[in-house]
Amino acid sequence: MGRTARHVFVAGCVALWLLPLYLLVVNALTPAADYRGEPDWTLQGFALADNVGTAWKEARIGDSFQASLLYATVCGLVAVLVAATAAFAVVVLPIPRPAFWFWLIYSGTLFPLQIFLAPLFGLYADTGLYDTRIGLMLVYVAWAVPFAFFLIRNQMTTMPPELTEAALIDGASFRRIFWRVHVPLLRAGLGAAFLFQFTAVWNDLLLGLTLSRSGDVQPVMASLATLRATYASSGPPVILAGALVVSVPTLVLFLLFRGLFLRGVTASVR
Amino acid sequence: MTEMVTPAGPPAPDARAPRPPRARRRVPVRGPHQAVRPGARLGGPLAALPWALPAFAFVGVLLVYPFARSVYGSFFEDNGFTSEFTGLDNYARLADDPVFGRSLLNTLLWVAGTLLLPVLAGLVIAVATHRLRWGGAAQLVIVLPFAISGTATAALWYFMLSSDGAVNQALRAVGLDSWAQAWLLEWPQNTLALIVASTWQATGLNVVLFAIGLRALPRDTVEAAQLDGASGWRMFRHITLPHLRAVTVVVVGMAIVNSLKAFDMIWILTQGGPSRSSETLALTMYRETFRLFHVGYGSAIALVLSVVVVASSWLYLRRQMPDTGWAKA
Repeated sequence: MGRTARHVFVAGCVALWLLPLYLLVVNALTPAADYRGEPDWTLQGFALADNVGTAWKEARIGDSFQASLLYATVCGLVAVLVAATAAFAVVVLPIPRPAFWFWLIYSGTLFPLQIFLAPLFGLYADTGLYDTRIGLMLVYVAWAVPFAFFLIRNQMTTMPPELTEAALIDGASFRRIFWRVHVPLLRAGLGAAFLFQFTAVWNDLLLGLTLSRSGDVQPVMASLATLRATYASSGPPVILAGALVVSVPTLVLFLLFRGLFLRGVTASVR
Repeated sequence: MTEMVTPAGPPAPDARAPRPPRARRRVPVRGPHQAVRPGARLGGPLAALPWALPAFAFVGVLLVYPFARSVYGSFFEDNGFTSEFTGLDNYARLADDPVFGRSLLNTLLWVAGTLLLPVLAGLVIAVATHRLRWGGAAQLVIVLPFAISGTATAALWYFMLSSDGAVNQALRAVGLDSWAQAWLLEWPQNTLALIVASTWQATGLNVVLFAIGLRALPRDTVEAAQLDGASGWRMFRHITLPHLRAVTVVVVGMAIVNSLKAFDMIWILTQGGPSRSSETLALTMYRETFRLFHVGYGSAIALVLSVVVVASSWLYLRRQMPDTGWAKA
């Protein structure tokens, strides 16, 4: 490829990728009442606050936003902790048949969610967990553990065993070794796992759609789906403003911690 | 605490100098990273169990049990209230269900389209931005949609693709009126339009992955090839591409699995419609189970989907397995 051709090609790709984002922002800013039934290509006003307000209150994105913030933070933290202790057991401690335990936990990320959904729904309906925050949090933790486990386990295997041996000789207990040796040394890996799981939970639609119904339990993506389906009359500006606002947390995290963020995904390549 | 890194511990018993090359292992048996052997002084094998128990509890109750229950349930005719054992009837029904046939075809389209668009575009863009002064910025723009959820992306693309949406408007503006059409209302355009929308989101990740592979390309090799007179296409074909093989395997594997699991985008944009024409297996399962209450039939579809997903992830799973991809460092 010639030098100029390369610049032109890359510029074209960037423009193609930016165009939908540009339209998203412009039309989310258009006052809902002024929308003429056709996408606007130029700025028509600055009614973002009104549009977000409509989505936030009338379509109850606000309640879901808070609920999802809770789910993503708590479930991300719990899943990383649970996965880290399990990785510690499988990698460092003398657990019998580590291969079996590894596969048991790891298999959770292989299968599509669909294979779990119907029995989960039945289980939740029977135990009264359906449409409760605690129910969704439990399933999010279970869903997040396998991949977090995989990431952390890979990190842990790169640590020299002499570390553990030395600590054992110094008389440290397992608990002490875990908290004072492994956790501090794995900080970056644990952070990457948390970011990854926070995003996964925040972006989930299928579990929220299946296991919840009411506004203050439903996670934010399920609410956005409802907004698109039932509030279509309020017009594209409101829907786009909703889409914009639910994307803010993950976008901010991504821009702040890009290296750490991609580390989760790219771990499989190196 | 880090001081403990310095050579403390006793000489490890397995420190015999050059070890014979070990056979590649696919499963993590107790490896060299495992310091404590059974019978070590801090208790027997059971001492480790409490550490792993929470994970087993979560995964066991909320993933493994539902999985087994789904497999079991696929042998029943179940409408949510009554259920009756019917053996393999649900699977036999799949064979002559036209909806399932269309769904399978769409799933194949998704797999093929995902391999063709995001993977190929990812490779081309990664190569084009490699060692470009503003290449990093360009990559950042293209990877940005990756941080946006499938649901929000779909809401945006509904706005682009609906009949009075931005795409048709743009086509009319440049005089291509005949190209403007109801993108989401007819098969196969709706499936193809959905694949394009997901390309916008999925390409960035592939660019990043390929870029990592490109950066690892050794300078010496490139210079040697240049001395031998290779450049342009020949360089790409004989030096770059073979070098990217490992990355490509992972990217392709992930692309296939993700395209098989795609749900959010399709559900928001078309709900699998109109008249179930854009459903993939992931959607068909959801509709059969939670909209039509054919729970047993839905479980059978979920099992078929799972088998396909696991079989195709084998491709890159083999590499990801502990003690193969990772022990090389």
